[in-house]
Amino acid sequence: MIRPLSQWSPLVLNVLNWIVTVGSVILCSLALPVRLPGMELAGISPNWLLIWVVAWSIKRTVLQSALAGVVLGFIQDGMTSPQPTHALGLALVGVLTARLQKQRYIEEDFISVALVVFGMAVVAETVVALQFSLIKDVDGRPLPLADIWMYHQQAALSSAILSSLWAPVVYYPLNRWWERFNWLE
Amino acid sequence: MYSLYRWWDRYRLQLLLALISLVVALALRQTEGAGLLELYRLLSLPFQSGQQQEQLITARTWELEQRIAELEIQNQKLQALLDQPAVTQGRGIVAPVIGRSADHWWQQLTLGRGSQAGLQPGLTVVAPGGLVGRITNTSPHTSRVLLLTDPTSRIGVTVSRNRRMGILRGQIGNRAVIEFYEKDPDVRPGDIVVTSSLSSLFPPGLLIGRIESVDLTKTSTPQAIVKLSAPVGDVEWVTVHLDDKTAEPMVSLSP
Repeated sequence: MIRPLSQWSPLVLNVLNWIVTVGSVILCSLALPVRLPGMELAGISPNWLLIWVVAWSIKRTVLQSALAGVVLGFIQDGMTSPQPTHALGLALVGVLTARLQKQRYIEEDFISVALVVFGMAVVAETVVALQFSLIKDVDGRPLPLADIWMYHQQAALSSAILSSLWAPVVYYPLNRWWERFNWLE
Repeated sequence: MYSLYRWWDRYRLQLLLALISLVVALALRQTEGAGLLELYRLLSLPFQSGQQQEQLITARTWELEQRIAELEIQNQKLQALLDQPAVTQGRGIVAPVIGRSADHWWQQLTLGRGSQAGLQPGLTVVAPGGLVGRITNTSPHTSRVLLLTDPTSRIGVTVSRNRRMGILRGQIGNRAVIEFYEKDPDVRPGDIVVTSSLSSLFPPGLLIGRIESVDLTKTSTPQAIVKLSAPVGDVEWVTVHLDDKTAEPMVSLSP
């Protein structure tokens, strides 16, 4: 018989909180290379780490959010390519989400979180596209700008739609847990 | 002093945890996500197509290899008569594709075999139909392939009908384009494109695809859009060529 959470010792609860947090990051990272039917739009899949950063940042300080963005950005760098870095975009997403002060302006529900994710996906894609416009390829020539920005439209829109549709899957359980944990503490 | 102490007392755990997460993330970035990819492979193991398919593929490969060997000997004899550089042929390893790129700006594949199976960065990856890309890094049981369609990929290619040379580069958005050196490259839709013997990254003579349309209006260089013959988007198995790693570029070439 498992005792209710409220009777657990604070240390165990804290450890459990970190297991949940780190575990969810690992799950989100592992979901990145997967392409399941229904999770794909024009070859583009949801940006799970972005959803995680938004879920984390909604009720946290700017600094905490920026740090989470950098950490998850580095992880995504490791899984694709360190240049251009994803840390910049995700950190910006974290800061903007934290600055939104959502509780004050918008009512908190799935729809508004999905809306925030939609906007942030566009922001993150734009940061990557900007970096792509600045880097040079192996021969030292810049990549074709027209191609980058044409693809940016398609990528940003697909990624925003898919990420916002899938956002509740990450946001709901995580938010539930963090709320409960704070209440217990 | 006391306030500093109190501040430290209050935030030391958070600081420590923040530092730890930063260090772990940096480590992941430095190791190119090797640990995560290994975990991913372990978890996706039950979902990969089973041993039986591999056996079927091996049998089929063996059959085809025998036929190729036969044709190769003929071909080499004929080429020796014509004094042409020989097309290199080597051993290959079959590897399952277990993942796609982790964001949508890069065109990558993750393979379920790595350095333990003898794979290493620089090896050529081929799918049924033709060239797919090249391995960029490996972990013990996984490896990452940069596809031809990636915007950072560039390959020297030859149009097989008239031996005209060009550079194939991936375009953002899963296409590939050839830029020709000459003003009038004399190519038309339907021409077959293979890797050039001047390419330093790939062995010469590998099939890449067919020219779909030609655009001569580009001011600097004429361009042609290529349809890759390998189904890069949905391959499940690929073959990694073991022997022809980063061949030295050949200098002499008959036009």
